[in-house]
Amino acid sequence: MEMYAYQNEQARPAQPQRVKFHATGGEYFRIWIVNLLLTIVTLGIYSAWAKVRRNQYFYANTELAGASFEYHGNPRAILKGRIVAALMAGAYGLAGHYSPKGGVVVALVLAGLSPWLILRSLQFRLYNTSYRGIRFIFAGQTRDAYTVYLWRPIMNGFTLMLATPFVYQRMKAWQHGESRFGTARFSFDATVGSFYNLYAAFMLVLVGCTGLLGVLIFSGPVAASVAANTAMAGQAKMGFMLLGVYALLFALYPFFTSFLQKLVWNHTRLEQHQFSSDMRLGRLAFITLTNYLAIICTLGLFLPFAKVRAMRYQLESMSLQPQGSLDDFVAASGAPVGAFGEGMADVLDFDFSL
Amino acid sequence: MHAQAEGVAAVYFDGRSSRLHQVLLTVRDGVAYLEGDAQRACALGQLRVSERSRHGARKVTFPDGAYLEVRDGAGFARLLQETGHRDSWVVRAQQSWRAVLLAAGATVLVLALGYAYLLPAAAGWMAEAMPVSLERRLGAGVLEAFDGRVFLPSALPAPRQAQLRAAFARLLPPDAEALPGGAQSGNAPDWRLVFRRSRIGPNAFALPSGEIVLTDEMVALLQDDQAVMGVLAHELGHLHRRHMTRRIIQGAAVGAGTALLFGDASTLLSTLPALALDMKYSRDAEREADDYAIAMLRRNGIALDHLARVFERLRQQDKAGGELPYLSSHPASAERIARIRAAGR
Repeated sequence: MEMYAYQNEQARPAQPQRVKFHATGGEYFRIWIVNLLLTIVTLGIYSAWAKVRRNQYFYANTELAGASFEYHGNPRAILKGRIVAALMAGAYGLAGHYSPKGGVVVALVLAGLSPWLILRSLQFRLYNTSYRGIRFIFAGQTRDAYTVYLWRPIMNGFTLMLATPFVYQRMKAWQHGESRFGTARFSFDATVGSFYNLYAAFMLVLVGCTGLLGVLIFSGPVAASVAANTAMAGQAKMGFMLLGVYALLFALYPFFTSFLQKLVWNHTRLEQHQFSSDMRLGRLAFITLTNYLAIICTLGLFLPFAKVRAMRYQLESMSLQPQGSLDDFVAASGAPVGAFGEGMADVLDFDFSL
Repeated sequence: MHAQAEGVAAVYFDGRSSRLHQVLLTVRDGVAYLEGDAQRACALGQLRVSERSRHGARKVTFPDGAYLEVRDGAGFARLLQETGHRDSWVVRAQQSWRAVLLAAGATVLVLALGYAYLLPAAAGWMAEAMPVSLERRLGAGVLEAFDGRVFLPSALPAPRQAQLRAAFARLLPPDAEALPGGAQSGNAPDWRLVFRRSRIGPNAFALPSGEIVLTDEMVALLQDDQAVMGVLAHELGHLHRRHMTRRIIQGAAVGAGTALLFGDASTLLSTLPALALDMKYSRDAEREADDYAIAMLRRNGIALDHLARVFERLRQQDKAGGELPYLSSHPASAERIARIRAAGR
């Protein structure tokens, strides 16, 4: 039976296993459009099923070392979470519009709840992801969630946000350190210094670009053309400046998050197996820029293609360097996890993609 | 019963360990058999097959969570066809470009109709259904929050304030049938007129608490009490048509819609279209309030020229201040003046 000869992974030399992403823009476009229509005509109810379909598509098309991932999220559970979350977000919106004091109270309550919600969301997300039949698990404790997502950020305020890279390093160390694949542990060893270096580099780029923009607007050709109407000049210059800084942040943000991701994965292990990412600035810049241009030129129709393109580059930059066999992980026993936090995170728009 | 001779190569995971088993899947008489690194048999009815995609692996899951991963798409499709498996209609739609084109057309149509007709109607209905008392109670603290930050106490003498208040209280509300679109209740809402000096120039607005705020600067700019009545009638129109609550509902729906459409790319990108789309509702609300003011002035025999003067004065003010044209929350003054003049004929 040579057609399915037994491949013993221990027998082969451990080669780096690169992630392969098989999703295509055209196929995701079709899934996206059908999901969109069904979500709209069911007034949002289908959105939970849409999320499950989309995730199942992306997970099933992500391959590592000859096996793909699987998403197990239950749409009914997600829908329940979303309904509760939408009611709470609605209460916040109404309170904010009608009475500023009520808005502040609801915002404080939500802020107090958010670490717990983030924890629940992480638990749900990991529990509902599996690879080779083994589910991931998030083992973080509520106490630590409050330290990571509430106390440290508040304390950071007293340092004029200078401790942001430290706070962020601790957050990733907690997220990755408390993640499990079955009974196997992830670990994280990026230093605080490496995060400070990355933040400093982006601050330098941002300050440099803002300075350049200022020079262009306040003494360059833009200023000359506006100066004709002196009454408008001051306001217009400030307006251009604000717009410019906004556009700058918008353009730089994806690079910042991608490089954070690269740093984080280059320092993450699963037991003895090391992850790595070899994302490059030039390629990333090209993909990001052409994606934005294409989205604008097609009035948004390119969106699903852009998403798949960006995901492909990010995922296929990643690889796993196995030290020995990947056959020996064992499933952990545990109770299923509710979707409340996940629905909440969807509606309140937390982003854990890093 | 059709006997299935050819098998499909697959990998099998038992759900307890990550070990990869190479197996051959065959189906005979309604039962799936695995041979190779693992042996197993299971009735087809108990197996769950994952949805089809062009390049992704298909999964076949057993009742206990163990599963097969099949990369041989063509072979597996043949096997599924022979066993009578049928994809759900959503999956079939997702795989067909014709269905997708139809869905795209339908999506655009539903969005356009919803934006132009459905959402305004639903928001209006919901706002009317909300008890006025609840709205008033919710809006109780708004004026205090503005006081001190945006507003200073009015410098208008108390007798002058009382004079304007009394003049407006004497006016009759417009007939219900005189309002385009036919407002549900002809009764004018309760209102309370308050005066403030502002840091934002001539302005007037209605708060959900029923308070109409008029700035000293507006009174000074107009120099015409009948025009002030026009401004107050416009604000009363906002209260009467429950514009605050309607705008909140519409804003939330538009926000949710654009987040759904563009949130995938970036939340930042999705807020800009939401703002632009919301501006249309804002302009519509201003037009409705203008119509209310026109009907109210007419009923009380006040010439519409006074109302037109308000917008002329505001336009002159804008020109002097030198504002840039932008995606506006209010219709252009020229358009509003033209509407009032047309109503006057």
